[in-house]
Amino acid sequence: MNIDLEWRHFDVLVIGSGGAGTNAAESAAKAGASVLLVAKDPLSASDTKISEGIATVRASGSEDDTEEALSENLKIAGSDLPVEEITSAFAKDSQTAYDKYRENGLRPEISSITKGPNSLPLPMGGHTRRRSVGHKNSGLAFGHANWNAIVKENKIEYLEDCWVIDLVTSENSDDIRTVEGAIVYDAQKGRILAIRSPSVVMAAGGLSTLYFPKTDTMRGNTGDSYAIAARAGAELVDMEQTQFLPFCLTSPPSFEGLLGGEPVTASYLGVLRDKNNKVILDGVYLRTRAECSAAIMKAVENGRGTPNGGAYLDMRANKKAPKSGTYFMKFLQNSLPSAYNNVRQAMNKKEAQCDELWEVRPSAHYMMGGIRVDENGQSIGDKNSNNGVQGLYAAGQAMGGLFGANRLGSTSLTEGAVFGSRAGFAAALYSRNFNNNEINKDLFLKEAYKLNDLLGQRGTNHASQLKIQVQKECWNNLGPIRDKKRLKKTQQFISRCRKDLKKVRIGKNLLWNQSLIEYLELVNMIDTAELMTYAALERDGSVGGHVRADCKDISIFSKPYSTKVKVRKSHIEVSKIDRKRTELKKLVEFKFKEQKRFLEAKLLRLLPMRFKDAIIEKRYKKIMGSKNQAPPIEPGSIEAAVGEQKVL
Amino acid sequence: MNERLQNSLEYLNVTIITHKEGTDLPTKFKYKKRSQKEKPMALDILLQAQEKQLPDLAFRYGCRARNCGVCTIDINGKPRIACRAVVREGDELKAMSTLPVITDLIVRRDQISRQLKGKIYEGGRKNDLNLEASEDYHELTSCIECYACLDKCPMHEKNFSETKSDQDCFQWGNPFSLLKLQTIATDPVSTVARKEAAVSAALELGLETCLDCPGCKCGVGIDLKGKVIKPLLQTSKLAD
Repeated sequence: MNIDLEWRHFDVLVIGSGGAGTNAAESAAKAGASVLLVAKDPLSASDTKISEGIATVRASGSEDDTEEALSENLKIAGSDLPVEEITSAFAKDSQTAYDKYRENGLRPEISSITKGPNSLPLPMGGHTRRRSVGHKNSGLAFGHANWNAIVKENKIEYLEDCWVIDLVTSENSDDIRTVEGAIVYDAQKGRILAIRSPSVVMAAGGLSTLYFPKTDTMRGNTGDSYAIAARAGAELVDMEQTQFLPFCLTSPPSFEGLLGGEPVTASYLGVLRDKNNKVILDGVYLRTRAECSAAIMKAVENGRGTPNGGAYLDMRANKKAPKSGTYFMKFLQNSLPSAYNNVRQAMNKKEAQCDELWEVRPSAHYMMGGIRVDENGQSIGDKNSNNGVQGLYAAGQAMGGLFGANRLGSTSLTEGAVFGSRAGFAAALYSRNFNNNEINKDLFLKEAYKLNDLLGQRGTNHASQLKIQVQKECWNNLGPIRDKKRLKKTQQFISRCRKDLKKVRIGKNLLWNQSLIEYLELVNMIDTAELMTYAALERDGSVGGHVRADCKDISIFSKPYSTKVKVRKSHIEVSKIDRKRTELKKLVEFKFKEQKRFLEAKLLRLLPMRFKDAIIEKRYKKIMGSKNQAPPIEPGSIEAAVGEQKVL
Repeated sequence: MNERLQNSLEYLNVTIITHKEGTDLPTKFKYKKRSQKEKPMALDILLQAQEKQLPDLAFRYGCRARNCGVCTIDINGKPRIACRAVVREGDELKAMSTLPVITDLIVRRDQISRQLKGKIYEGGRKNDLNLEASEDYHELTSCIECYACLDKCPMHEKNFSETKSDQDCFQWGNPFSLLKLQTIATDPVSTVARKEAAVSAALELGLETCLDCPGCKCGVGIDLKGKVIKPLLQTSKLAD
């Protein structure tokens, strides 16, 4: 067998060039490490770049904002699944992480009062303080800052168009695995790289492409982070916790999956209807995303779905109200401009004016679960860092433990910066002990031969087409609603798929071999989907982003736990990890407030129009303030679905 | 209804220029519309072509909402952002002509960022980060890096006529690189030294070529001539 490997040696290898990867590379380089950043997409083209560009900066708006308050907000929002050490680290570093973005050119509006970054006028839902900072040009402003961070000095080496095949690890007698480096396919140059690196920061994003085109995120989210880490022996937590946004577009194809609205923009009188015009969910603005998604998907299952497999969002009543109606359209346009822009382009005029119904369907938006890490992003196991994968770090969507079952608004950009920096720094320190280590070439060759065997594989299947089948399967059986039968079905589908993989035709060429690229991503998608099915079966109840149609809701009073999955000797092990519950007193208070809100909403609906109208008008005025402008809302955040608020 | 009309309601015929090992190969593709009124974008065509006819067709895409800037291709010889470019009967879809083609519609992009490696942010910054940026600064950071501006850029063309194009980074500049440098020049946090370094980097990249050029066109509507080229020419004293 003959394989040409190009050997390279670095202290830290960073995978991914979004917010997390960039911050990791920058802080590792600053700590004196030699750094290689590899990414399959062009530099800084990531979910960070296409985000709404709102970041959490503690105390930017409210002076009395403490680290404890921010950490607690995250924990309660995530139904007590988040790990306290991790939420505390987030709270501790939010300001310094944000300033790193500013050092690289992010320029917020400066408040004349605080003389610092101007935060949004109201606390975003789920946050008890004003601490969310919006930016002109949304995520693009962050994209440029990331780009600058990598390009500005000659410290960080980077390669685009590179797919990581697998990490190379060694194993000791106690079953503890240690990172030795990675095998990387460089499609642009047509070569295979053997990267010797004692530490790796996994920052390759999420898994929403498992549901393509029912997603509003970047194409590259093929679950690479989770699949590669799991194959290297890492533990993953909360892999059933995927966030779906319920009100996304269904057509035309170019807009399919993109965001149309959020529960809160359906406003006080918005309802969901099935194809027979029957109301399937009212009080939409108070509902959680999972409730909305479940209502839509249940209608579809019962044969009452709309032509494109969704439901109708009816906001006509908001508009018809004589007084408050005039505020509604402004509220809709201002609070979620990017989403409304999609609607205006994709739908007809009457629909865009809310005089007709919108056809909507859920889309995958964010992965809250991920690689089990400590507060420095280091892979851990039950005995903390001692039995995680040594030298493996994760940040951003790749990591788990920060958001648990739900994510607060404006937190994901800060997540990337905080844990990117922490992971990069920790990886650099760890690698200092490995300077003159010998390379175990055989370990690398073993991985490289696997790739060599794939090149020129014969068969009649095409990976790009199998991908579409996987996406359909994930949508149907691992999507916004799940049950045991369907999850088992997905597992059977996956084992059939693995057989099909052996008959995928792969070209021999090394220069941009698309069939190989499709194959590698397909494998990552299948591996990730399988891990998710195990976690989703283990969590036999609904909580946060995970809806089990065949089980009850998990009460907030029950003992919280995270699911844990791990690959061991090509079997998947699944179990539970106990998490700490918030004080009972606070939970009771929360439940009481929730009931009160629903009762109020119900009363409001039953009131005669003129009373209803006056009350709603007053509310709009309060939200929009003197400028007559609604503050922007971040898709996926809690304030875009007030039913998910868990703030006391 | 006659057959031809029926056909045009259901299908759209395009040519996709695939590219393997240095050779272009035109491939006819019949796009099946999902409804009669559908006006597919170039990306819809490429996705369906990959699903139905060319399983290994290579092309870049990302957000499908004109934000990430990676899906730019040439349609009938002009650079367009594929996810938001409506395709018409008979159109030709091809890799961007302004960058080296690797395979099919994939072009190599990183020779551009590499030409600024180590050149931006020279000269330090002010300690105070709480300085508000101007509207001009924000207009420049609305760039999505689609590289549509490379089209007909005489400075960028020099990379192919005067030097070898297989190097790791381009010697001569382009509107995007100049935009990045002008962003530094308008950044309130930049020191005088950093601003000067940015302008000399622009000169090194061949700014004087802009003197004889009617101007460049941005893929997302940034006023490149007014907000990038003119101010750089003025600060560098190449023009008044």
